[in-house]
Amino acid sequence: MNFAQFQKLPAYLRWPVLAFVGILVLSIVQFFTDQQLLTSTTTIQTALKWAMPILIAGLGGLFAERCGVVHIGLEGMMILGTWCGAWGALQFGSPWWGLVSGIVGGALGGLLHAIATVAFSVDHIVSGVAINILAPGTARYLSERVFTQMDGGSISQSPRVESLGDFTWPILAKGPDLLGKVERLDWFLISDLFGVLRGLLFQMTYLTAIGLALVPISAFLLNKTKFGLRLRIAGEKPLAGESLGINIYRQKFLGVIISGGLAGLAGSFIVLELAGLYRQNQTTGRGFIALAALIFGNWKARGVLTGAVLFGYPFGLSLRDLEGTATRSLLLVIAIALLAVVVWALSEKNKADAILAGAVAAGSLLFFFGTETAPKWLPGTMPYVLVLLVLVFASQRLRMPAAVGLPYRKGGS
Amino acid sequence: MPTAIELIGITKRFPGVIANDNINFSVEEGEIHAICGENGAGKSTLMKILYGMQPADEGVMKVNGVEVNFSSPTDAIAAGIGMVHQHFMLADQFTVIENVILGSEPTKHGVLDFDTAKAHLANVGESYGLTIDPDDFVTELEVGERQRVEIIKVLYRGANILILDEPTAVLVPQEVEALFDNLRELKAAGSTIIFIDHKLQEVLEISDRITVIRRGKTITTVNAADVTAGDLAELMVGEELPSPETTESTVTDTVALEVKNITVLDEFHRPVVDDVSFSIHKGEVLGVAGIEGNGQGELVDAIVGMEKPESGSVWLSGKDVSSHSVRERRDEGFGYVPKDRHEEGLLLTAPLWENAALGHQTKAPYSKGMWIDRKGSRDRTDEIRERFDVRSPNADVSAHALSGGNQQKLIIGRELICDPKVMILAHPTRGIDVGAQAAVWNEIRTARAAGQASMLISADLDELIGLSDRIVVMFHGRLVAELDPSEVTPRLLGSYMTGAALQGGDELQGGDEMDGSDESAGEHTASAMSETAEGAQ
Ligand SMILES: Nc1ncnc2c1ncn2[C@@H]1O[C@H](COP(=O)(O)OP(=O)(O)OP(=O)(O)O)[C@@H](O)[C@H]1O
Ligand SMILES: [Mg+2]
Repeated sequence: MNFAQFQKLPAYLRWPVLAFVGILVLSIVQFFTDQQLLTSTTTIQTALKWAMPILIAGLGGLFAERCGVVHIGLEGMMILGTWCGAWGALQFGSPWWGLVSGIVGGALGGLLHAIATVAFSVDHIVSGVAINILAPGTARYLSERVFTQMDGGSISQSPRVESLGDFTWPILAKGPDLLGKVERLDWFLISDLFGVLRGLLFQMTYLTAIGLALVPISAFLLNKTKFGLRLRIAGEKPLAGESLGINIYRQKFLGVIISGGLAGLAGSFIVLELAGLYRQNQTTGRGFIALAALIFGNWKARGVLTGAVLFGYPFGLSLRDLEGTATRSLLLVIAIALLAVVVWALSEKNKADAILAGAVAAGSLLFFFGTETAPKWLPGTMPYVLVLLVLVFASQRLRMPAAVGLPYRKGGS
Repeated sequence: MPTAIELIGITKRFPGVIANDNINFSVEEGEIHAICGENGAGKSTLMKILYGMQPADEGVMKVNGVEVNFSSPTDAIAAGIGMVHQHFMLADQFTVIENVILGSEPTKHGVLDFDTAKAHLANVGESYGLTIDPDDFVTELEVGERQRVEIIKVLYRGANILILDEPTAVLVPQEVEALFDNLRELKAAGSTIIFIDHKLQEVLEISDRITVIRRGKTITTVNAADVTAGDLAELMVGEELPSPETTESTVTDTVALEVKNITVLDEFHRPVVDDVSFSIHKGEVLGVAGIEGNGQGELVDAIVGMEKPESGSVWLSGKDVSSHSVRERRDEGFGYVPKDRHEEGLLLTAPLWENAALGHQTKAPYSKGMWIDRKGSRDRTDEIRERFDVRSPNADVSAHALSGGNQQKLIIGRELICDPKVMILAHPTRGIDVGAQAAVWNEIRTARAAGQASMLISADLDELIGLSDRIVVMFHGRLVAELDPSEVTPRLLGSYMTGAALQGGDELQGGDEMDGSDESAGEHTASAMSETAEGAQ
């Protein structure tokens, strides 16, 4: 079966196959480098948790860009989400309220961005950067007014907040723990598969479940509803929508506000599930990684999920992998992936790409054999490296909304 | 007959221009009413006002005798008005059905109900002869099909007053004929149609009455039966109807452009341009005839360097430029007027002077060293505006403020003023009024006399025959015939284009019978051709 045929398979077949191939590669690498961590339950669990803020914020980016507004300000809106998330949880005494207030905080940021870009035609990048600068300042100012008055709070951090809680699938992941049993048998590939599965089902937080559910919900909203169709026309050809009586301003406002709300949700996820409190600079550039996931995912909900998982994985792994040996073996994974690109490029008769991919693969291999443990910066750079690779090798396949970033005025004036 | 639409004293001002200046006329129910006028006369603006897309500054509109005040197209659609715009209003990455239902989507439990939509579309399409798969993406459609989707969009909403702004500009003759048949049917079913077109023969053929607009003012309304094309042209621009005939040959012995064995494959590795070779001499115009979608676009892309052909080479003045980039080829003397002014020709939101510099931005007078020379660019833009009569207040307005025809004139001016050695012209006079068309033809002839080699692609067969020194016919990606324009008629050319002439040579002379596969298309061509041919005389 060649690549074009594979592309034609229905999505519910394609994605499991891809996931399986991914796990297969991990198992092989794990086998040769004598590792346990790459596919262990704990790694997958942490990776999933770390992927969530990227995923949710990436979906936020999706809503903005599909209605034609560039969203470089995701990071700022996530920061608003972190602060509001902690504040809401503390003020109303329940993490669920934190969630709500985080969403509202982010949505307010979105509203600001919409007013600037849609109503006043400010350049989208300029407005986004302004929000990224404004948000941390606002959060610090508010912390000074609010958190310093609280026990255990200071100007740069809030008192602790509770998590929303988690659940474990009975029978499969606890009690008889069928998946765990197989995982511990240490069979090549089989155990790895079960480890990964168990990682998904063991102590999954409610918020993670919500985040995962947002993927099909977003895809459904965008592709199957009237709202989504009208939102997308604003990002593809606003004049066509206008000529059929659609209020493009309205669509753009809605899209950007939803986008802000999701970014805020991503921020509250960090506070409620990852850190357990608000801390200054807590988002550490995840908003930008989310944008990278959006591009990687070709402006599609499912693609954003893939991107978020790929980008979150190295982080999750490095947190578990204190010596850095497992992270080092990721270099081998990258080399294998690039060799696959070489094969693909050769089959497309694209020599230049094949040579380039081969060279990078060789570099990655050299790096692998030249080190014992991975440097600390490796997981953090991986998302950007992956996006660069995608842009280099698959840019013809990427298609952003046709009118994204373009100014729009009603009546063309 | 009752009046469907009445416009009283409509006035619309834009910064620096009065687009509509006290417009008065009425359209009767069930008639096809054409609106004629030069580029920038204010036709499109008036139609957008009628369709609720732009507010009028002054004036009163009545629809079916009732005064209306549209604040958005929604209101106009509710009043039964539909509009097909001068430039396509389709989202390329949407499917046909998505484009059609947009704004009046049927839903079931909040979910888009494509089944109902398709059923309704099939109903509408049946009476209209639509053969497009509703799940196709618009990117995959030919222009003619896109045009039909646009009309379907209007009919889907149940409009009984149709506004068509230059619908034939992008169509080939047999498509025009098919469109006109559809319009006659719609008229017979009781629809009222307002129709804008620069090709006066077509106007006379299809319309009942004609309103002429000049510089924003209504000049007069006449019965189509009472006037000739010449009268109309005179009413519009005060000039005689021009014809595109070339004077004496200026062809030299020096080869300027040589294309050798170009093959371009599509995404499924099928040849869309199949082993095409030709050469153009200095001072020669080579016409390329062919129905759109037979590989002309891909051939042009390969020549200007936008697409890398699978095999073959391009030679400019004896030098192999196959490996050169678009930029290098332009610097070496290629000029290019693209077929779609909005897609490849202009930056709509950029000012005219930036648009005039596009593609030449590295050379004087547009730049000095590494810096853009704003003054030089503006002066050059003013020169283009003057020489090519680009009606615009100044060089700083953005390109979307120009009427369609004036945008086209700007592009032609931009390319011709740089005196390229080889000029690729894809539908150069698309959407240009008769007066300006004559001016453009003159410019092309002057350049030819000065030694320019041109490749001309045009759906206007009179233009093709009148301007070319030699005509080749492109069919299914191949050059299938070479003809002498002094001997060929539009009708004969048309039969070559549909492939009918290739299957049996002797039928061409009689023309009473067209061969096999493409029968109906052939008939359309034949009739469309004979009418155009009469018009040219
Ligand atoms: N949005 C706008 N802003 C400023 N000026 C405009 C705008 N739209 C149109 N104009 C101007 O109004 C005048 C009429 O333009 P319009 O598009 O109605 O011409 P037209 O008769 O349709 O011409 P064509 O045959 O070339 O399409 C032109 O001078 C044009 O420059
Ligand atoms: Mg117009």
